[in-house]
Amino acid sequence: MKKTHIILLLLIASSIAVIASVFADFSTYETFGSASSHPGKTYYVIGNLQKDKDMIYDPKIDANHFTFFAKDKEGKMEKIIFNGEKPRDIEKSEQIVMQGSYDHEGKFHCSRIQMKCPSKYKKDMVAEGKSS
Amino acid sequence: MDTQFIGEHLRPGQLGHFFVITSFVASLLSAFSYFRAVRTEQTDPSKSRSWTLLGRGGFVLHAISIISIFIALFYIIENHLFEYHYAWEHSSLALPGKYLLACFWEGQEGSFMLWTFWHAILGLVVMKTAKGLETRTMAIIALVQVFLGTMIFGFYFGPEFHIGSSPFILLRDSMTGAPIFSMPNYLDFVTDGNGLNVSLQNYWMVIHPPVLFLGFAATLIPFAFCIAALWKKDYQLFVKPTLAWSLFNGAVLGTGIMMGGAWAYESLNFGGYWAWDPVENASLVPWLTLIAGLHVLLVYRSTQRALTMSIVLLTLTHLLIWYSTFLTRTGILGKTSVHAFTGDGKSLTYHLLIVIGLLLILTIAMLVKRWRGIPKIKTEEETISREFWMFIGSVVLFLSSIQIAITTSIPVWSPLAKWITGKDFAPPNDVMKHYNDIQVWIAVIVGTLSATVLYMKFKHSDGKVVAKRLGLTAIIAALMALGIGWGQHITTWQYDILLFASSYGIVANVYYGIVVQKTRLRKLGPSVAHLGFATVLLGILLSSYNKHSISFNVTGENFPFGKRTAAENAKENAENTLLYHGLPTPMSEYTVTYVTDSLHIQGKDRIIYYKVNFEKTDPSTHKVVESFTLYPDAFENTKGQGVLTTNPSTKHYWDHDIFTYINFMNGGLLSRSKPDTSTYTSHIVHNPGDTIFLKSGFMVFKGLNPTVNDKRYVPADSDIAVSVRLMVFDSISGPVKEINPILIIRNRMYAFIEDTLPQMDLYTHIDNITIKPEDSVNHKQAVIDIRVKQTNPKEDFIVLKALVFPFINVLWLGIVVMVFGFFISLGDLLNRKGAGSIPAVKK
Repeated sequence: MKKTHIILLLLIASSIAVIASVFADFSTYETFGSASSHPGKTYYVIGNLQKDKDMIYDPKIDANHFTFFAKDKEGKMEKIIFNGEKPRDIEKSEQIVMQGSYDHEGKFHCSRIQMKCPSKYKKDMVAEGKSS
Repeated sequence: MDTQFIGEHLRPGQLGHFFVITSFVASLLSAFSYFRAVRTEQTDPSKSRSWTLLGRGGFVLHAISIISIFIALFYIIENHLFEYHYAWEHSSLALPGKYLLACFWEGQEGSFMLWTFWHAILGLVVMKTAKGLETRTMAIIALVQVFLGTMIFGFYFGPEFHIGSSPFILLRDSMTGAPIFSMPNYLDFVTDGNGLNVSLQNYWMVIHPPVLFLGFAATLIPFAFCIAALWKKDYQLFVKPTLAWSLFNGAVLGTGIMMGGAWAYESLNFGGYWAWDPVENASLVPWLTLIAGLHVLLVYRSTQRALTMSIVLLTLTHLLIWYSTFLTRTGILGKTSVHAFTGDGKSLTYHLLIVIGLLLILTIAMLVKRWRGIPKIKTEEETISREFWMFIGSVVLFLSSIQIAITTSIPVWSPLAKWITGKDFAPPNDVMKHYNDIQVWIAVIVGTLSATVLYMKFKHSDGKVVAKRLGLTAIIAALMALGIGWGQHITTWQYDILLFASSYGIVANVYYGIVVQKTRLRKLGPSVAHLGFATVLLGILLSSYNKHSISFNVTGENFPFGKRTAAENAKENAENTLLYHGLPTPMSEYTVTYVTDSLHIQGKDRIIYYKVNFEKTDPSTHKVVESFTLYPDAFENTKGQGVLTTNPSTKHYWDHDIFTYINFMNGGLLSRSKPDTSTYTSHIVHNPGDTIFLKSGFMVFKGLNPTVNDKRYVPADSDIAVSVRLMVFDSISGPVKEINPILIIRNRMYAFIEDTLPQMDLYTHIDNITIKPEDSVNHKQAVIDIRVKQTNPKEDFIVLKALVFPFINVLWLGIVVMVFGFFISLGDLLNRKGAGSIPAVKK
């Protein structure tokens, strides 16, 4: 057996190991229901912003605290706590992708928000909010 | 029934369309002729010659047509012919001239045109230089141009299905059914276009897309040469041109990618130059396979080994460019990218899939057909040889690209994975960490190898000499890494290893250039390019490892504050600082003040610049040792219904950058349009020491000044003028400033000069001064009526984030050095005579 083959085999073996471990890194899209059964684990949840509910952001009290309500695909409504500034023009978005986790008190903390704004003639606008 | 529309300019569009068709037919003709020329090469040389001439003619015609399409579209944009959808969608009357070209790459059609344009130009160069491989390479290039031509074809079969989309479509055709277009004079109402996306209105965006697309386009040339080599079964002739084009390609694509990084750093808010965003990855992956392919081909040139691998990597590079177009243009990345690329319908998705499929089939078929004939060497290479380690390095680069491609392609394979596992896969929660954790090892291996391989010779090296030289450089590098690691507090062991690897890369390449190559510039290409690469690694490490936020009061570290809830901990660690208008706020070693905001109209966009002043004072002497002003801004763009975009502002030092941007704003110019409801109120003072209370502080009357010496006041003969001295105090920060409103009696009329204190939104003037005669209660005294207005103080504020990037200049320097290295190598290669012919293949 050639040395090259040995080294290549080693490389391939290690890359298979790496790729296998990479899969453990990947998150999944969940609903509020399925995410709440694993508190502390971070998931992506796709939901609709509830514009008729309160959106609270008062930077004078805390520039990194914003709360709003969203409803997921299964129709479950949840209050979301976002540890960051209120994303600009979130009012204009409909579908939002939230990245976050439930704490042990059953509250959903969101660390990243991605918004999709509907528009008549424009192609969809995608905007993004990130917590610090 | 046809409506006659008034004021339309249909000629440029018709011409443009004509050239679209011409360029397509010409590329088809060229591809076919070159193909025939190859077929008749052996049987009938004179016929082959005529086919070649026809192929050339076709390609020249094709190139001219492409340039004409470009001119036609530019004419439409420049003359603001908004009857064309493209001009209406992507430009506006007030768009500054320098950004007119940028309209090309905002839209899908323009981007494809730019790509086709570069292919045509590069194709002309290949036609002139490829000599024995001309017919075959040009047949491939023209064929790819045929595929690309269909992208701007614009054949519409109903609303959902179309082949390509034309940039010359009329506004009224793109929005059929809108009532406005039933009026013959509809153009009277379409007075202006939508304008260009603000984030594209940046000088980097004028230069980055053309360079990047040149990099994309250049991958076609090594692809064409590899296929041509297989086609002709000639594995010698293609080596030199393929190497030259790959070097050129590596330099241009690398520059293009990092220009994108520089643009992101300067005008986007994701807080850095690289975010492992799918769009960035989509161009990095082909660059990695290109660099791997380039190195394997170098191995082949010197040792006749690894030909198959070179061809696989270089053809794959071009296929990956198509794949990345598929990722970024069809909207499949939708929810995973910060870039606002969204779908252009199913048609484009299938169109691109078909093209990728055809090119893939062509490549695989060629490889399979020639597999047996490809020269291979059965003997084993030596362990201490350049080719062995170069090959390993290339494989590692290739593995790196596979890892990036797998994670980036999640939206592509997740439906399949869901079908198999039932899980709906999403990108990793911490994307940066995910890539960094894996790619740091790639960087370590490649960084180390890039320095080591140069010390070994092809085929056989003297192990002792190599070991001696490498041992010496390793010791110097270890000392250097130790010094930097100590000074920069790099304590994570993985990154310490990377620090050593990059230091080693720097030391070893400098040593090699000076001692072994004796600084002969012609020969320095590889060591300069590798030095640049190692410098890039060091720059990335230094700037990202110690990147920290200073926009919170306490410290740059993330501490567990021991608070009960995640939110409270997050608050302590939060990186946003609230800055009230005019109120100095401590931030790290600086005192930061949001001084004022100013409006700038650029085209249709309103940009508000926030003037933020940074001051550093010496704690012992209280003297200001450093002061600078940054202007982060907020755009109100006409695109996307007035969504506010904010752009960062950065203070550059030689050893670090302070990078700031606004996350949130309230009041200020944004809300100045609402009526000012506050009114002047009257305050009477008599004696020095009298106090007037304000909303956010107070003023003390210090007396009258009868000799007015003020540049706002121009004295006249009969004037009586007096100024009032008012000392203003802020309730939080104490004394602010003395202000002096002036009262003038001119020709028996009162006039006043107002004085204001902008940082407290305070306006004062004197209404009148009278002398009250002595009466039974009071002495004779002055009655000064001061009118005071304070517009809602403390309601204007911004939420600012400030980040420090240490040693980011090391990164930029590394890129420049690396690209320079590519060009040295290219120059050396082109100067060499007959380097393409290599020793006869050992069978």
